[in-house]
Amino acid sequence: MVGTLVYQGLVGLSEAMYLWLVAAGLSLIFGVLRVLNFAHGSLYMLGAYLAFYFIRALGGNFWVGLLLGPVVVASVGWALEFFFLRRVYQLDVAFQLLLTFAFVLIFDDLVKLVWGPLYQSVSTPPVLSGAVLFMGRPYPVYNLFILTVGSLVGLGLWLLLERTPWGTLVRAAASDREMASALGVRVPRLYTGVFIFGAWLAALGGALSVPVHTISPGMGESIIIEAFLVVVIGGLGSLKGAFLGAVLIGLLHAYGIMYLPMFELALAYIGMAIVLIIRPWGMFGVREA
Amino acid sequence: MSDTHGLNRRDFLKASVAGAAGALLGSELGFPEIVRAAKVKDPIKIGCQGIMSGPLGGYGEYMKKGATMAMEEINAKGGVLGSKIDINFRDEELKPDVALKNARFFVDDWGADFLIGIDSSGVALAVGQVMPELNKILIVTHAATEKFNEGLVYQKKIKQCFRVCVPVYQDGIASAHVAKNLPVKTWATVSPDYEYGYTSWKMFKHYLKELRPDVEFVGESWAKFGTTDFSSHITKVMAAKPEGIFTTEWGGEAVAFVKQAKLFKVFDQTKAWMNPMGGAMDVLQGLGKEYPDGAWVSGRYLFQYPDTARNKAFVEAFRKRWNDFPSYPSETTYTAVQAIKKAVEKAGTLDVPTLIATMEGMELDRPAGECVIRAEDHQAVYSVPWGQITHDPNYPMPVLKNLKVFAAKEYYRTPPFPPIS
Amino acid sequence: MDASASGKLWLRVFVVGIVLVLLAVPQVAGRFWQYLTLNILLLSLFSLSFNLLFGMTGLLSFGHAAFYATGAYATALFLRTGMVPLLPSVIMGTVAAALLAALIGFFCVRHTHVYFAMLTLAFGMMVYAIVWKWTPVTGGDDGLVGIPRGSLSIPGLFTIQMGPLAHYYYFLTILALLGMYALYRISRSPFGLILNGMRENAGRVEFAGISARRYLWWTFTIAGLFAGLAGSLMAPLESTVAPASAHWAKSAEPVMASLIGGPFVFAGPIVGSLIYIGLKEVIVRFTQYWLLIFGAVLLILVLGFRGGVVGFLLRRVARANVPLSPAEE
Repeated sequence: MVGTLVYQGLVGLSEAMYLWLVAAGLSLIFGVLRVLNFAHGSLYMLGAYLAFYFIRALGGNFWVGLLLGPVVVASVGWALEFFFLRRVYQLDVAFQLLLTFAFVLIFDDLVKLVWGPLYQSVSTPPVLSGAVLFMGRPYPVYNLFILTVGSLVGLGLWLLLERTPWGTLVRAAASDREMASALGVRVPRLYTGVFIFGAWLAALGGALSVPVHTISPGMGESIIIEAFLVVVIGGLGSLKGAFLGAVLIGLLHAYGIMYLPMFELALAYIGMAIVLIIRPWGMFGVREA
Repeated sequence: MSDTHGLNRRDFLKASVAGAAGALLGSELGFPEIVRAAKVKDPIKIGCQGIMSGPLGGYGEYMKKGATMAMEEINAKGGVLGSKIDINFRDEELKPDVALKNARFFVDDWGADFLIGIDSSGVALAVGQVMPELNKILIVTHAATEKFNEGLVYQKKIKQCFRVCVPVYQDGIASAHVAKNLPVKTWATVSPDYEYGYTSWKMFKHYLKELRPDVEFVGESWAKFGTTDFSSHITKVMAAKPEGIFTTEWGGEAVAFVKQAKLFKVFDQTKAWMNPMGGAMDVLQGLGKEYPDGAWVSGRYLFQYPDTARNKAFVEAFRKRWNDFPSYPSETTYTAVQAIKKAVEKAGTLDVPTLIATMEGMELDRPAGECVIRAEDHQAVYSVPWGQITHDPNYPMPVLKNLKVFAAKEYYRTPPFPPIS
Repeated sequence: MDASASGKLWLRVFVVGIVLVLLAVPQVAGRFWQYLTLNILLLSLFSLSFNLLFGMTGLLSFGHAAFYATGAYATALFLRTGMVPLLPSVIMGTVAAALLAALIGFFCVRHTHVYFAMLTLAFGMMVYAIVWKWTPVTGGDDGLVGIPRGSLSIPGLFTIQMGPLAHYYYFLTILALLGMYALYRISRSPFGLILNGMRENAGRVEFAGISARRYLWWTFTIAGLFAGLAGSLMAPLESTVAPASAHWAKSAEPVMASLIGGPFVFAGPIVGSLIYIGLKEVIVRFTQYWLLIFGAVLLILVLGFRGGVVGFLLRRVARANVPLSPAEE
């Protein structure tokens, strides 16, 4: 019984890591730019497609794809912020949502035009395709790998924000935009930098999903809604919250499927509703003026 | 449905005026009697809808390829009674309201004489039940729900509805005939959390238990539509240590499920894997060399079967035209267009009641084999084999070996369709 | 003073003209165009109900389809009994939606901004999950199929069968127009003025001795009621209700229509609905890559017509003071 609980929980945790990578960027972008980026799931999808493209083009090396795919997507992120988002910062947040939603549609059809409507997949690299025995049952090495990467990204983000000059600027801009600007922070450049970094994180999640998920047009849509849930559960702009939110959603999935299958469809939403009714600004969010 | 009357007064006037004018012109210009009398309408218009966007967009694409090929073949040979065929494609988006708008556009605005396609079962039921109001013939080429033929046609007598793909009997009953000979006593499923998943599993359990009373069903997990990560579903059912996994996941979800099941070593711990949708071309190509040998799969048509000149010619023509192998929606939609040709030629008219009468019991020589459109429920009756995944260097994707074919009468449910407990 | 009076007169003439055109549609246009017009009317009513909340109070509901679907399912269930005539079914569907909105609104109105949007999304998706799973009542994922349109009758006086689309066209059009007119009156009433005040400064209104939350709760319920009316009128038109009608993708439609048209002008959502449905209808006729083209046009609309088409034109052409965001005065 305890064994099953722990095992199932560990499965849920590895599911949560993809969500965490997407939610981290989403939360960071909201914290600094105050933009809800609906197209963040599309960046995840582009990360997957481009990783797939490089893996195929360069002789099947997974690691090269993992490295190159997200870098290309980061430059797509730059273009998005520099040419489009910049123009709508002073509009209502809903218009920003609409603008980024337009990109969801555009990217979905663009990948279809380039790679066709069918499914693409890539083999798991041999070193990661095994399984270890855990509680007497097989646990994939790939899931351990994902858990490690997710945790490392979390640690890296914390170091980046708390221990580097750039992190200080980001935190300053997130807490008070005018003040940061008055102190000489070049806010537009910082915005672009944060958006690029967020795009890279989403694409990393997408690239990591390539060996185990299906690559198809529209694959970003299911993850973006869940990422929104995660970010809001954690509190908008809070990375700690996003991490715990992702873990919560992952565990809700894993245990919900096991013990409450009737409610699985709505479990993540029920979880968020409960959190928000108890804490109207999420677990670690701050009250908005 | 109160709007069952065929032509309204305005249409009738238009039609009779046009007919009279046509007759007048024809005789004045001295066309041979036979051509003038035979030409029913030019072009004959067919509205086709399937999923064209999102993760399942490949299904609409395969429909389009099949339908287009049939149209080109027919038109190159002089059309249907001298009339060309014209096909218009629209995205059903898996949404009933969109599909209803498409159907109404096709019939009421574009002037479609027939409707074909439709991927989702819910959409097929929604569009099916407005067919009396639209009063055209609908030929479904993918949606598999038994409620379409048993419910809409047989019980509710909506005679405008037809279907040329195998229904869910292939998924839930033919599968039981395969499973009874497998060395598996305990089965579990991970299947879609909607009607198609439930029905297939219900039929599979019911018919397998009849064929082989000693089997047991030890676990089930229902994956919501659009699931990308099946890990928790896999670990849930594997906790019951089943000897066989039955799944009706399809499209990209079937691909993801197999990949993740491999990571969790499901194929090492079980003796059999069955997926009625696993032989679809998109799944075969999507998994490629990752597809485990020996998995039992089927589809609504398999390009390897039957081994006839008709089928070989179809596959060859398809490969030449599209540089791809035909998936089942290609064959079924191709067949729908060919069925329309045959029906119109036999009936010599586009009058819907006459066409319905012509199509009831009509035989079709299609790539998937000879089939009959059953008069009671308007279901095309033909059988599709099950087979095991194998990797053949002659093909760019996995193919099937060890094909098991069951006669349609062995596994098709028949009127009056007794309820399944 | 004079200019404004003549402007009002022209506006009235314009509105009467549109109503007359709408009533003439079945006489001059084919069945598909009638159907498309009804779709635009339904989305207009749905969007206006959404925008009662968003345009006036700045609260963006991302679960508004829950009420649309509740109206649709309830109406369908009454009609399918065969015992309840059309009008009472529609009324009961509408009331059912309002009751659900009152319940959900109770939990949502103390939230603001994104948190409000996400909480309404959550409740919306719970409704979606319920209609998906409660198969004996809702038909599960297949939905309720084969909803009769029934008839409209006053016993002893007349009975009109609603089967033919042209008959149902008048029924739907008149009720939808009445609904829109009611929403217009609400937005111009003292109640609406208070809401507007809250949008601009929540604190100030609270100081004035009005419980902002109670006002928002009422608004939420009224918005749900009219969304329910739209759903109730949709069910007999399509003769099918499916879970998709409760999904967030459906909730996104009034959001898009309102934003395209301009959420801070009453007519914005109506024009937005016309553009949304018309645009898609045109695009899908030419290409199967409709997402790409639709997305590109959306991009142009957001960037080119800042604050929505109607708002933009009013600012540019009529030099009216239309805000760009609800916080702006």
